[in-house]
Amino acid sequence: MTRAEIIIKLNEIFADIIDEGPVYLSETNTSNDIEGWDSLTNIQLIVDIEKNLNIKFTSDEIFSWKNVGEMIDCILIKK
Amino acid sequence: MDFQLNNSYTHQFTITKEVYFHFQMCSNDRNPLHNDEEFARSKGFPQIVMYGNILNTFLSYFIGECLHTKDVIIHSQEIAFKNPVFMNEKLDFEAFVSGVYESVNTIEFKYKFIKPNGKIAAKGLIQIGLLK
Repeated sequence: MTRAEIIIKLNEIFADIIDEGPVYLSETNTSNDIEGWDSLTNIQLIVDIEKNLNIKFTSDEIFSWKNVGEMIDCILIKK
Repeated sequence: MDFQLNNSYTHQFTITKEVYFHFQMCSNDRNPLHNDEEFARSKGFPQIVMYGNILNTFLSYFIGECLHTKDVIIHSQEIAFKNPVFMNEKLDFEAFVSGVYESVNTIEFKYKFIKPNGKIAAKGLIQIGLLK
């Protein structure tokens, strides 16, 4: 899976969970940049990402991410 | 994490007259399908149809009372109604752990309510968080 493919998948997952129209993530985005990305939504996002990509994160990995780009780095290691 | 994939749970629920009336008072839903025998028959049902959302209250009981821990909070629940339920029918409830997401302390259950005739009354998905 390429970074571009992952970000397309993440856009779909975010749009589905946040439910406020299309989402166009950039690698520098953080939760502050995305309307509706709060702590509860974050749990739903992680669950859906794990399900859709068939991977498992650790809580340490999640806490270490500073932005979407670092999330993608982590996904790439697992795919 | 104490929950393992495919851990299963069973319980039996019945919508008694008392449950029915309490739900009616709580919801204030007086739709004739649930209250008027003649209306229900005119729509092809043998008797008044129980409120489907009573099953959601049974899900609340399942999560709140039937698990081995009280440190739980419901994140989301989905329900699809498949067949009507009538008063005093005994519903067999079956659930199993369909997802364990340790990174976010989240457990997912798939469940179904089965009518005495073997048909599924409702089924769906519940996602809970484990409180620290």
